[in-house]
Parts: sequence; C-alpha cells; structure tokens
Amino acid sequence: MENELFMNAGVSHPPVMTSPSSSSAMLKWVSMETQPVDPSLSRNLFWEKSTEQSIFDSALSSLVSSPTPSNSNFSVGGVGGENVIMRELIGKLGNIGDIYGITASNGNSCYATPMSSPPPGSMMETKTTTPMAELSGDPGFAERAARFSCFGSRSFNSRTNSPFPINNEPPITTNEKMPRVSSSPVFKPLASHVPAGESSGELSRKRKTKSKQNSPSAVSSSKEIEEKEDSDPKRCKKSEENGDKTKSIDPYKDYIHVRARRGQATDSHSLAERVRREKISERMKLLQDLVPGCNKVTGKALMLDEIINYVQSLQRQVEFLSMKLSSVNTRLDFNMDALLSKDIFPSSNNLMHHQQVLQLDSSAETLLGDHHNKNLQLNPDISSNNVINPLETSETRSFISHLPTLAHFTDSISQYSTFSEDDLHSIIHMGFAQNRLQELNQGSSNQVPSHMKAEL
Amino acid sequence: MASADKLINTDVPEKDVFAFHFLQSLSNLRKQNPFDTPDQKNYRVRKIKKAAYVSMARAAGGSSRLWSRALLRRADKDDNKIVRFSRRKWKISSKRRRSNQRAPVVEEAAERLRNLVPGGGGMETSKLMEETAHYIKCLSMQVKVMQCLVDGLSPK
Repeated sequence: MENELFMNAGVSHPPVMTSPSSSSAMLKWVSMETQPVDPSLSRNLFWEKSTEQSIFDSALSSLVSSPTPSNSNFSVGGVGGENVIMRELIGKLGNIGDIYGITASNGNSCYATPMSSPPPGSMMETKTTTPMAELSGDPGFAERAARFSCFGSRSFNSRTNSPFPINNEPPITTNEKMPRVSSSPVFKPLASHVPAGESSGELSRKRKTKSKQNSPSAVSSSKEIEEKEDSDPKRCKKSEENGDKTKSIDPYKDYIHVRARRGQATDSHSLAERVRREKISERMKLLQDLVPGCNKVTGKALMLDEIINYVQSLQRQVEFLSMKLSSVNTRLDFNMDALLSKDIFPSSNNLMHHQQVLQLDSSAETLLGDHHNKNLQLNPDISSNNVINPLETSETRSFISHLPTLAHFTDSISQYSTFSEDDLHSIIHMGFAQNRLQELNQGSSNQVPSHMKAEL
Repeated sequence: MASADKLINTDVPEKDVFAFHFLQSLSNLRKQNPFDTPDQKNYRVRKIKKAAYVSMARAAGGSSRLWSRALLRRADKDDNKIVRFSRRKWKISSKRRRSNQRAPVVEEAAERLRNLVPGGGGMETSKLMEETAHYIKCLSMQVKVMQCLVDGLSPK
C-alpha cells in the first residue's frame, strides 16, 4: 500500500489533499510529492510525529513561496497551485539535499551528527519561532533533515518528538538490538498513518528497492544520501546487535520508549503486548521469591497454580487459627482492655517501652509466683499435683518450666524484635495474672481448679 | 530481583504492628459480645476471622494497597456484597474482551487469583500480581502473629 502511495506521487493526488487540512494530511502530500527527490527524507516526513510535522509545516511553508503561509491554508493553497509549489519544493529540497549530503558526510553515523542547532528543549518549546529562524538558513534545516533521515534509517515507526533524544540514546544504551523505535502511548496517532500490519522488515526491503529505483531527477547528492542511508542502517544495526528491549524515559514527555525486538512485529498492539508480558513475568519472578517451593517449578501456569494454592492455604490457616483462637478465648477471659490501656503498645519510643515491658515482666512474674503459692494453698489435693509440685522449687524456675508455651513462644517468634516478644510475653503474663487474681477473688471453687489446670 | 523490588514496593510493616491491630480488634470484640455460649461459635469464629482480616488490612497500610482498601470496604458493607460482586463482574467483562487474546493461560490463573485476593476484580494482571505479592506477605505475617497468640494462650 505504501508502495502505491509512493509510486503514485504525482499530480494526481490533489483529491487526497482536499481532505481536512490537518498537518498530517499536508505532510502526506508533501512526502508523496517530493518522493522522486528524496524518498528517504520524504518517508521520514511521512512518519514524523505531529510536533515534527508542525516544524516541517512551518519549514516547508517558509520554503514554499506560495501566498499561503499558514499551516491551515497550506493544503488548500497546495491544491490550487500545486504544480508551482511542487517545482519549488523540489528545487528547494534539491538544494537542501546538497547541503544534507555534505553535512551527512561530516557526521559519519546517525549518532555523531553535528548538532550546532540549539538544544532540544528550546527546540521543543519554541518550535514555532526557532524553526523559522533556523530555516531561514538552509544548513540548520539540512542538519535536522539529516538527523531525521538518519533516524528514519534506523526506525520506521519513529515517533519521537525530536531526533535528539534518540540520537543520544544509542551511545548510552549500546545493548539495543533494534533499528526500530516506537512508543506505546503515542502510537495511536501514528497508527493512523501507518497501514496496519506492516513490519519493519518489509519496510526495509521497500526502502532498499526504493533507493535503487531512484528516479533520474535525483541529484547526485541525493544518491549520496541514499548510499549514506544504506550504510547508516547497517552501521546502526551493527551497533545495536546484542541485547534486549530498552526503555528510556523521554525527558519531554511521560512516554516510555519501547524498542521493538529484532525480527518482530512493530505493531503498536504487539509492542504493548510485549511490554505487558514482560511486566507480568517480572512480577511473577517477584512472587516466585515469596512463595516457598516455587523455584523448582518452571512455567507460568504451574507457578501461578502454586501461588494460588499458597494463597488459599494461607487463608485457610487464618481461618483455622481464628477458630482456635475463639476456642481458646472461651476458656480464658481475657481482659484485653486493661492490657491495652496500660499502653503496652505505644506507637513511639521503643526504649521507654522496653523499660515498661521489663517492669511488666517482673511484675508478671511476681504475680504468677504468688499465684502458684496460692494454688498450693488452695488446692493441695488436685490431680494436677504433678504439675504443681515443681512449683516448690524456686519461683523463677517454676515460672519458666510451667510455661513451656512461652519457650515455644520465644522460639517461634525468634524473628521478632525483642520488643514485640516481650510485649506478647507481658500481655500473656498479665492476662494470666489478672485472670487468676480475678478468679481467685471470685472464689468459685469449681472454676478455679479447672482454670488453673488449663493455664498450667 | 533486587532491581525489581526497588521498582515494585512490597514492604510490609513489622509483626508488632500486626499484633497490635489484631489485639485491638479482639478487645473490641470482647467489649461487644461476651463470648460465652457455644451456640454462637460459628458466629464468633467468623467475627474473629473478620477481625483478623480487617486488622491486617489496617496494619498493612490501609490505603496504599488496593486489596486492603477493598477488604475494609467489604467489611463495612456487609449487606451490599451482591452489589459489589455485580460491579466487579462488569469490570471484568469489559476487560475480558481485550484480555482474551493475551496469554489465556495466564488469564485463567489471574481469574482465580482475582477471586482470592480482595479487590482483585478491577485490576489488570500485572497490578494484580503486585497486590498478590503484598497480600501474601501480609497474610503470612498475620498467620505468624495469630499462631504465636494461639500458642501463647492455649492450655498446655
């Protein structure tokens, strides 16, 4: 389809240009009209983004001495006096081609194009004014054209705002493979220009045939350009042989540049797909580290099954533990309010808290110690004698031995900071202590021994 | 993996934060209902479970994660579960058209994950995986805290 577009470059295209006067439409016309002169350049024009289009619009409008300087009127004017404009354009572009050839020879590769023009930022910001100022002299325009074409030789789906960031890219990221650049979000406007389903491979083939079929009206300089550009892609490709896709954040816009991989489609959809797939695989790796036993499993499906099973098992564990907790809570009346009101968990100041905890611990110990004594006093004939007997030994030892759960506690929460461990210890101690005190005070003999048994 | 972790932040607060929140919710439960009658066992279990999840969501940085927000929302609106579900289905159906072309194997698993992870209904697969990672971390933390509590409180 593009073949036809370019082949049919000629006078018979005005009907296309009567379409709404968008800059893109105008550029299409421009590219088609100027095809015999410089297909590569015009192709780049064809592919450029709207900002560049506007630059070129202004540039070409300055070149064309038609009475329609504004962009909006350009196409209309072009329809009218197209022959004149065409001839003028060809002449102008021929001149530019000369200069372009010279400057291109100076800058050997697309990376090293001399950039005497103002930095990209200014270019972007003052694109309406500076291009006009620059284009008053041909060399500036020619340089930009050189850059654009060089850029185009590397990328057919180019969408960058300016060639500068792209040219700065390759030296930095030498791992890039691909001669093609596209960015996902901006692709849609370009996609309208681009016939769907075109791969860059086809385009490169077309380009080479185009250059061979260069019309005789092309100046020798244009042939130089062609050769330059033929060699340029090779150079570009060589420098970008190894490696993966790169993402660079454009300083001017928030888009992420995505480089298409070698030999793969540069469809906007497929590129977005690839970005998405890589995101997913990256996160899967993250998940793999979290889920135990996932390292041996390879393949997305199995790993995802593992992950799902793990999440299910965790949820089941929570449910089971909550059941257990509820059953535990029936036996023990926990006075959590009191515990929490004692500021056991302050949100700040760990040191102070630690001191508090230590105090609580000691107090808890004493309380429990007293408890054990009271146990002995109250219930000497309880079957839990075997449990109570060790209480006759020193309080601290009994304290420790009688609460193996605490030891287990310490082991299981060894990963805890000591802070939390002591907290939980203290809570439980306090809880027990308070329970015992309360129950003893209440003095229902039936309950007390059972509770004591339970706690011991 | 370190580089990926820098990009994807799945930090989870320490266990004591979880413990604090959980105990707070438990104490609130105690205040509300004296859990005495065994008839109410299921009810109580569910309450405790809900308290566990809610406290986990709050402890894990309530608003910075989608799943925690969805959990809290779900906990607040117990009556409107049906409404929520239908909304989620609508969200999924709008995505399903696009996502059917994308790696159907992954998408099946993602569908199952969405059922498990709260708030997973309206998320893209990559976002879903982030949330899952954080959710797994928080869940494991909560399980540890609860285990320790149960062990500490359980009779010998």
